[in-house]
Formats: sequence, C-alpha cells, structure tokens
Amino acid sequence: MVVGCGNCAAKAKSGGEPEAEAMVERLRAKGVTVTGWAVPPNGGSLCKLSATQKLLNEDHREESEAADSFLVLACGQGIHTVIDATDARAVHPGCDTIFGGETVADDFITEYCSLCGECVLENTGGLCPITLCAKSLLNGPCGGAKDGKCEVDPERDCGWRLIFERLRELGREDLMLKYQPPKNWLRSGSPRSLNMVGTRADFSFANATVTAWSGAEGPEEGARGGQGG
Amino acid sequence: MKLTARFAEGRFVVTGEVGPAKGADASDALDGAALMARSVDAVNVTDSQSAVMRLGSIAVAHLLKQKGIEPVFQLTCRDRNRIALQSDLLSAAALGIENVLCITGDHMVLGDHPEAKKVFDLDSVQLLATARGLTEGQDLAGHEVDPPPSFCLGAVVNPGSDDLEMQLIKMRKKIDAGAEFFQTQAVFDPDAFSRFMEKAARYSVPVMVGIVPLKSAGMADYMNANIAGVTVPGSIIDRLRETPKEDRKKVSIEIAADLVRRMKGLCQGVHLMPLGWDDIVAPIVEAAELGSTG
Repeated sequence: MVVGCGNCAAKAKSGGEPEAEAMVERLRAKGVTVTGWAVPPNGGSLCKLSATQKLLNEDHREESEAADSFLVLACGQGIHTVIDATDARAVHPGCDTIFGGETVADDFITEYCSLCGECVLENTGGLCPITLCAKSLLNGPCGGAKDGKCEVDPERDCGWRLIFERLRELGREDLMLKYQPPKNWLRSGSPRSLNMVGTRADFSFANATVTAWSGAEGPEEGARGGQGG
Repeated sequence: MKLTARFAEGRFVVTGEVGPAKGADASDALDGAALMARSVDAVNVTDSQSAVMRLGSIAVAHLLKQKGIEPVFQLTCRDRNRIALQSDLLSAAALGIENVLCITGDHMVLGDHPEAKKVFDLDSVQLLATARGLTEGQDLAGHEVDPPPSFCLGAVVNPGSDDLEMQLIKMRKKIDAGAEFFQTQAVFDPDAFSRFMEKAARYSVPVMVGIVPLKSAGMADYMNANIAGVTVPGSIIDRLRETPKEDRKKVSIEIAADLVRRMKGLCQGVHLMPLGWDDIVAPIVEAAELGSTG
C-alpha cells in the first residue's frame, strides 16, 4: 500500500495525492501488487498518530489489512507513524527526507531553521547563521564570500551578508560586535522527545531536560520557547 | 620561539608555508621547509588545505620542530569538534609547538571528500577564545587544565574582501578573543592593502601580508575567478603570459619580491605561500631585501 502525507510531502510534490497515485501506477507497471493508496485529507500530516490510525485502520482498513508492507511518501517521522499505526508492519521509505523549510511559493521551499535548539535568532535579526551560513559560523563571515555569494554555492547569498544587512536595517549593528560563545549542541542530540502536560512541556535528550511554559502560570525563569517536532 | 617575541624585537617577520602531501611520509614537506628555513622566522604547516585530506599538520609541525625549524601549526575547525580541537591543542603543546594559526577551514564541499559530515563545532573566533582559555588553565567546560599550554595565537583576515567592514569587525573579535598576529589572504594590490591597513592599524596587532608567488598566467586567471578577495592585476598576468616557461620561476620571484618591497612599509611581516615552489621563498626574501632572518 502507498501512503502519502497531506502536509510537507504534499507541498514538496513528493507525497501528495497526485504523487501517491503516480507511485501506484509505477509500482503496478513493475508488477507489484498494490492494494491501494491513502493520503491524510485536508492537508493533514502523516506524523500525527491518531489521524494516521484513523486513516489506515478505519478509512482505508481493507487496503491496509491486505498489504504486506507500506511504501511511505513522507519524512521519517511519517514513516515511523505508519509503523506505530499498523502494529509495526513493514515500511519502505519512498522519499529522501532532507530538510524542513518555508514554502515561499508553490514551487519553492527553502530552509531557514535547522531545528537545533539553543536558538540564536534574537541576536541575528531573525536570520539563522547555523542554517544560512554553510559553515554555521556564529561570529561573522568566513572571508570566502565572492560578490556577496557563498563560496560553497555561488547562487546563494552569504548568510552573514544577509544577517549584517538585516541588522543594519534594524539599527542593531552593535549585535555584530558581540562575541557569540560556542553553541550548546546538547539539545540537537538525538533521539529527542517532548512531553506536554497542560501548558508545560518537558524536552528531553540524554541527561538534558528543559521545561518550557506556554501559559501565564509558568515561572519567569522557565519561560523559554520550545521547538516541537 | 613564539612569533610574538620576533615582533616584540621590532623585526619584520617572515613566514613560509608547506602543505603536507597525501601519504604517510613527511619528507617532501620537511625538505621544502628546509629550503626556506634560513630565510624565514617560521614555517606554516597547513591543515588538509583546500579540504583535501592529507598528512596531519600536527605531525609535520612536530617533525619541523625536531629539525630546528620553527613551525606555525595551522588548526581548522572544519574536521574537529571542541573535544578534538582542545585535545589537539594540548598535544601540540606537549610536542613543543608554540605558534598556532586558528582558522575556520575551507568547506569540505570544495575539497576531495565533499560527502564528509561537516563539523564546524567552533568558529575561528571561538577557537581563539578556547585556545586562550587553555593557556589560562581552563578548558571550555570550565575544568582545570594542568599544566596549561603556552601559545602564540594567530588568525587570518582577507584584506581584499568585498565586505571589508565585516572583515574588520571579525578581525576585532579575533583580537578580543586572543589573536596576537594576523596572516592575510594573498594580496596583489598594494593600494587596496594600504587602504585596509589604514583601518586595521588602529588595532595595533601585527599583520603579515600574504604573498602567493604566481606560477603561470592560468593560475592568476583561476585565482581571479575563484578566490574571494584576490585580484591579480592585468599587468602581472600579461607579464606572466609573455614569459617562456623556463623563465617563469625567475619572473615569479621578481613579481613577489616587488609586491613585498611595496608593502613591507605598511605592515609588520610577510607570509609567503609558495604552494609547492618551496625553493623560491629564499630568493624572494633576498630579492625583497629583507635580509637573513635566521
């Protein structure tokens, strides 16, 4: 059975309804028996377990039960959600998951966040040096930019040029002078999880636990933004 | 001997550079360094330069030290996380290495292992601060380092960068973090270098102008097209193009020596990067009338 995702993979034109149907045709042309296909409706994400359980165990129960395995056109989160929703049946990755990005236009998605924790955006005008600088430098450009373009990709602006121009526009060039200490990568270690109870969220990886509050009752010192999955 | 001691003597400091080969033998780099040893104060050893995997800079720097040639150990952030960087700094100190050039490193996409996982755990400013912290007896986690190493820390700057303001900001950050001298990207335009030094002089940290002897007109064209902040003037390229192959080294020496002569009054030293033409460092130093440094 082919399973797509109505959200990111659909936007990336790799796991929406047209792509799922096309994949069914490709598999059948290769002699594979396909029991059917399903994509969460209304732009729904495959990575929401309760919705995917309903999708595969109720709405498409027959095709799902008849399948030996699932070809999943979604990211790795979606693939694991299918494992969880189907009592750990076999899955095949149908997409090569590379990044999460902003859908700038119907045909263009680009990356602005590396989901790495210990966010530095407050110091950089909202533009991420970890993501926009090919070397993820925190204290300014490397000197390799040519005509404002990155030495790694001449089609791409130097991330630090963008940050500096933005800080200049915001009247915050002073932030360029500020020493940025080595980043705490502890929160980018994997596997990570987030447990949420009411307005409280406990993030955990290894021995590192961070609590974030989204409501008014949170303690002042704990009021840090969390980045969920 | 630390380069800071040379600068303190008020001398115009000269450094050369060798790039270890891809192989388990340092002979070529050691032989190359020996050719320039009497003309320079120290010899840089590059760290898998251009992101091409090679024999390590720490080993070659150590072997140079054993031969009585003062090394400048280049250490890049590209391939090591903060544990490895600090450990290599302690290893360097234990091997008697005193001069360390702290640099970010070329991106692996530009080298021969583009599929490598990028590290860049620290940037060059943070590496300088980390190295200085070690010399003060403390590692990045705040733990005691006993005994602490003792280093002369260097950094790099690109005077020809198309965003000089950002380069100067970063230069200042490097100084605040611990940089005690600078070696520059290759310079071919003394006027542009003069404009850079007018701004950089206020930092009162020694600057060594970078000189790359040109091997051919093709090399100059390549650098103009691909190396940020490097502009080889047309007059130099024309001269190289008109030079028969057998005379190229001689002309390369003349061009490099002329550049050194024109810029030595602007800065505190010169860093010669012969890119394999190790035998021309001594003649350039001689032709530029820098005298024997020993």
